[in-house]
Amino acid sequence: MSATAEHQTYTGALKGEPNKSFEEIWAQPRGIRSLTSVSHRVVGKRFIVTGFIFFLIAGLLALGVRTQLIVPGNTFLDLQTYNQFFTMHGTLMMFLFAIPILEGFGVYFLPLMLGARDLIFPRLGAFGYFCYLFGGIIVLSSFLFDAAPESGWFMYTPLTTKEYTPGLSADFWLIGITFAEIASVTAAVELIAAILCARAPGMSLTKMPIFGWYILITAFMIAIGFPPLIIGSVLLESQRLLGLPFFDAAFGGDPLLWQHLFWIFGHPEVYIIFLPAAGFVSTMLPTFVGKPIFGYGFLVAAIVTMGFISFGLWAHHMYATGISPVSLSLFSAASTMVAIPTGIQIFCFIATLAQGRPRFTTPMLFVFGFLFIFVLGGLTGVMLASVPFNFQVHDTYFVVAHLHYVLIGGMVFPLFGAFYYWVPHFTGRMMSETLGKWVFWLMFIGFNTTFFLMHVTGLRGMPRRVATYPEDIGWDRLNMLSSIGSYILAAGIALFVIDFFRHLRSGEPAGRNPWGAGTMEWFYPTVAPGYNFRAIPPVRSREPLWDQPELNEDPAAVGGVLRAYPDHRRETVGCDPLSGEPLHIARLPHPTWVPLFTAFAIAVMFGSLLVSAYWVTAGAFVAMMAGFTAWAWEPSDSGVTRDAGLGYRLPVDKADRRSHTYIAVIGTLLILGALYFSLVFGVLYLWNTFPDFAARIARPDPLMAGGAIAAAVLMAVGAMAAKWLSMRDRFLTAALTGVVTAALGAATAGLLYLAIADIDRNATALGATAWAIVAYVGVLMFIAIWWALFNALRKLTGRTRPGQHVADFNFSPFAKGVALFAATTGALLLAAQGALP
Amino acid sequence: MNAELGEFGAQSALRAFGPNAEAALLLTVVMSVAGIVILAIVMGLVWLAVRRTGRPRSWWIWAGGIVWPLATILVLFVFSTITLRAIARTDDTAFVIEVTGHQYWWDVVYDPDGRAIRDANEIWVPVGEPVTFRLVTDDVIHSFWVPSLAGKMDMIPGRTNAFTMVASEPGRYRGQCAEFCGLSHPQMAFEVVAVPPDRFAAFLDELQGEARDAARPELLAGKQVFLEAGCAACHQIRGVAEGAMVGPDLTRVGGRAALGAGMWRMNKGNLAGWIADVGDMKPGAQMPNYNHLSGPDLRALAAYLESLT
Repeated sequence: MSATAEHQTYTGALKGEPNKSFEEIWAQPRGIRSLTSVSHRVVGKRFIVTGFIFFLIAGLLALGVRTQLIVPGNTFLDLQTYNQFFTMHGTLMMFLFAIPILEGFGVYFLPLMLGARDLIFPRLGAFGYFCYLFGGIIVLSSFLFDAAPESGWFMYTPLTTKEYTPGLSADFWLIGITFAEIASVTAAVELIAAILCARAPGMSLTKMPIFGWYILITAFMIAIGFPPLIIGSVLLESQRLLGLPFFDAAFGGDPLLWQHLFWIFGHPEVYIIFLPAAGFVSTMLPTFVGKPIFGYGFLVAAIVTMGFISFGLWAHHMYATGISPVSLSLFSAASTMVAIPTGIQIFCFIATLAQGRPRFTTPMLFVFGFLFIFVLGGLTGVMLASVPFNFQVHDTYFVVAHLHYVLIGGMVFPLFGAFYYWVPHFTGRMMSETLGKWVFWLMFIGFNTTFFLMHVTGLRGMPRRVATYPEDIGWDRLNMLSSIGSYILAAGIALFVIDFFRHLRSGEPAGRNPWGAGTMEWFYPTVAPGYNFRAIPPVRSREPLWDQPELNEDPAAVGGVLRAYPDHRRETVGCDPLSGEPLHIARLPHPTWVPLFTAFAIAVMFGSLLVSAYWVTAGAFVAMMAGFTAWAWEPSDSGVTRDAGLGYRLPVDKADRRSHTYIAVIGTLLILGALYFSLVFGVLYLWNTFPDFAARIARPDPLMAGGAIAAAVLMAVGAMAAKWLSMRDRFLTAALTGVVTAALGAATAGLLYLAIADIDRNATALGATAWAIVAYVGVLMFIAIWWALFNALRKLTGRTRPGQHVADFNFSPFAKGVALFAATTGALLLAAQGALP
Repeated sequence: MNAELGEFGAQSALRAFGPNAEAALLLTVVMSVAGIVILAIVMGLVWLAVRRTGRPRSWWIWAGGIVWPLATILVLFVFSTITLRAIARTDDTAFVIEVTGHQYWWDVVYDPDGRAIRDANEIWVPVGEPVTFRLVTDDVIHSFWVPSLAGKMDMIPGRTNAFTMVASEPGRYRGQCAEFCGLSHPQMAFEVVAVPPDRFAAFLDELQGEARDAARPELLAGKQVFLEAGCAACHQIRGVAEGAMVGPDLTRVGGRAALGAGMWRMNKGNLAGWIADVGDMKPGAQMPNYNHLSGPDLRALAAYLESLT
């Protein structure tokens, strides 16, 4: 086929910008249109800046808390305001600062380090950011309505039910945080796919910078760890809105179910926060020691181990709830095990230090601060794993001390080091080393003054979350010193902010690779151009800038793949996940309003839910679906091959199990599966805990449940058949098969509904949970049906041309996954039918 | 009594007055010392690594990152599990005290399966004898904690938790709700009063009887106010108005050392202030403010309640 003839039939050419040069194609939109930007460089920066603003707000709330506690019986804040302050402090820090800002660093630096021009799903990144921003605004706006959440960041039931927390404060929390969590899980899928599927030619997993491993494992943990809380929040919000008794003991619900769901999320969350920051440390240490990180293999093993262990010790937050001694011992043992992967990492850092003479720069000071504070916090963590000790100090200031040691030591100190280290990348200028040392020492001294004493305060019997305390029971002086320490800590952070604004104007220009680092993000002089790499160079080392001298020449002239841009599109190279060999050319979207529009529609949807304006909710839902459809409706890029340079001739957007789209579908199924199993956990937990209530619910209809299983199997077969037909370009039959698949999906959902129609969802928690599972499967079926009809419609309208199979190729595993969840539900109902008395 | 402990009894895990708290304290001391030593060694290694330059070996990681922590946590785990087995035993023969958590006070029933003697916010226990606390809640989750005697245990809707403990010395031990339970969570305290067994038996007998008679005209007037102002809708004074279980039992309210669930010293002035302005002293409490009572009525009521020892 000649080039011109191909241009007439190739739908991907419709999206090219033939008049534009390479630089123009990658240019950032300006002004109001900058909201359409999808570049990881813009989105990452937005995550970091927004996260830092939430950090400052949460920090001010903490100062309010410390000021209230400076003397016994203080009346600086009334009880309600104090409760709001500590609730919002925890909530903002955990959900709207720590995770998003770390994801922001991942979003910004991973493509640069891995040799990609952008994250692999740029629109998803932009969408995730707006979800996070709107979710954060919803949570924060509660202050304006005098309805700030006041039940603690842990939101324990039944305190958070309608009965004990009337009004909207809990709804603000549940809806806003769930919304922000959508951002976190979308970013997780995006980071997984980007790390596995878009690296420079030759960068095998073993040559990947260690930061990539840290973020990869973190992203998997987010994908599995966040769903339990999302499910918990949805259940609690539906208890508040609809009266379904999930956590109500009078109806066979259990307040402890909330605690389990919360901490199955909440404990991994701690490691989700720690791991990326440890990734910063592992990136900065080699630079300042001048030698590669020692024990790369050990580190990878430790990170993976930590990821696994972190899901097995949630109950150490629940020792005092009356768990049996045997379970206590098991969870205690699992909790102490974390010392091993942590120990490995610390010793790898020490060994790395031993390889050379470190330069005592500001980032390095923060690394030393991290080592001291985090090791201390880790040791008190091991202490807390001991059950009898935990009985005493649980929910006291000892725990407050411990958690700030691990979170501030393990995350905030590396983060500030990372700010100093990478700030030239954002601004092209260096921050002051002199002021940086002041910032470090103020923060270090202030931190330890504030929090070290809290170990003693806690042992002396002071519980957490108390707005006042009586005089003369041994807490007065300790609290005063802690409060003074917090002001010193705050002064350090204020000095950092001042220096940041100072350096914007008068900081020293940074030039190229100012710290002499070995990783690829320093390939260009700062500030690097928005496309990251003019051509993507092959990488043969973990520290390419140290080991590949050709990379230190003129960056625009360094040889690599994708120098040519025949279709005038943004693109990067997609690789084999293991070997890093180029697999295909991944076409990337250009700036678009769709992510903002869709995120805004969801914000309206959630916001109207808050104020019970359900017609607006319905309208916003339609707008959201329109947004997602417009997102996906664009012409396909696949179906052609292009010369990528360096002897590679690569297909564009290949339909392949190793491609980023397929991996992303699998990642999404992982999240959907984690959501599903959180619900199944709820059912099995309630059934096991309160068997009496199980006897009260109606039996599910076995015929309908069996029918649902059959329909689900047929639906999976239909999706596979549609893929098979589509791959052979038999579009008409493929489209018809797609319609049948959609119908089978609807039948599956309908039969499941009929199977449980007799169960009263208001009478027992178990019955309500059965409804929740079927409702969830219904939502998944709705998505599958939408996708199947979408694929069919594109074929019938000629949007899909011969050779373009990606959508069908990726729908098949999704449909199979959803069918599996539906069939499992049917099987559970059949089993329940047999087991019920 | 431990006079040096001031107005309130001891509330510190570092001042142990019973085997449970003592076992936890021993763990605390041993683990803290070990923790400081480990921290010092690790920081020493960091210092060495900074000062010296050498070629790291992978056995460093094996030794420091795997074997050392594993050995440490094994020892800790054994120590901790032995301690747990020692303190987690629930003694079936022990005297039972049922405590029900409320926002924001404690309902106390001695010997709930037998004599069922009701009181509130102050718990007496016999020194040297095991006592089993049976813990339930009437509303949200609370946590029952007397640091100087034993670790905490939660009160959870739909469940009954229990643990056994011994107070080894006479004295007053302050406890406090340790699970955030709402607006006035910081003002939900109580005291455990440990007395010799014979004194405890006498106390129970005394407590089981009816309230002390109003001996003076002022007290009689106060009793009248109690009956007429509607107090009896929520509060029980055995022998005067029985049956109401919504609020704390007031049969011996004046005998308690503290008012408002372990928060303020029990005296006439505080009592009057409490009755008139409970919503200010303890926001979120169920009891309404009785600031419409006349001054004399209020004083009489306070005097009457104080006389109920």
